[in-house]
Amino acid sequence: MKLQLLILILVSQVALVAGQIFLKHGMNKTNEVRKPRAAIAGNLAAGIVLLTVWFFLWLGLFQKLALSYVYPFEGLSPLLLVIGACLILKERLTVRAWMGVVLIAAGTVLVGMS
Amino acid sequence: MSDPDTNPAAGIRSRGGWSWFLNPYLQLALNGVLVATGQLLMKVAADATADIPAPRWLEVFGVTALGSWWIWAGIAFHIGGFVNWLYVLRVMPVSIAFSLASIAQVLVPLGAWFFLHEAIGPLRWGGIAMIIGGIWLIADRFTRAEEAL
Repeated sequence: MKLQLLILILVSQVALVAGQIFLKHGMNKTNEVRKPRAAIAGNLAAGIVLLTVWFFLWLGLFQKLALSYVYPFEGLSPLLLVIGACLILKERLTVRAWMGVVLIAAGTVLVGMS
Repeated sequence: MSDPDTNPAAGIRSRGGWSWFLNPYLQLALNGVLVATGQLLMKVAADATADIPAPRWLEVFGVTALGSWWIWAGIAFHIGGFVNWLYVLRVMPVSIAFSLASIAQVLVPLGAWFFLHEAIGPLRWGGIAMIIGGIWLIADRFTRAEEAL
């Protein structure tokens, strides 16, 4: 696989994960007593922009590559997302849940490969 | 894990009437169906438009797929999935919700096996088992924390 396509796959996964983190950050604010409208709208808008970038990058990859090349990389997104949510949103997972995330990531790679 | 005292799912669920529909797990399952359908439609649109040349600077994005009706159906499913995903995010940590959403990776091959009689190789069965195991590890822990409310 060409290095350029590999980079595109990675960029699309990072856009997906970053978009999700913005969405969650915005939705967390809807649970605050004083609902900061501008901050909620800003975070959701950033999330939507990043998810739109992911959508069209992913669509472009679908056009260029067979699914069996693209799908194994979907296994990266749960790992990236949980790491991002822990670092940025301060979400905490138990050891057991971490094991679950690693199993899901590895399983997604296997399902995508075959 | 979310703080039980600030988990709005508990409040929403006690309202009666249509409240069962707002169960975050039901919404997560609905999201899985919407997104998996949207992804299938995306792939159909991408295949149908793969030979249409795009302007050089737009090449990495699959914008030429917008010429196919399939992609508009795919976008509609993604928007529907987006709305109930926001609701799920409101009541659940994103790391839990996103991991549980991996059930789609299991549903698509199982659906193809059951309805379309597509064979599933040993590697894929192994992957399906690992994903289900991972979801069990996460969901079991999370639902117990919720039951303790």
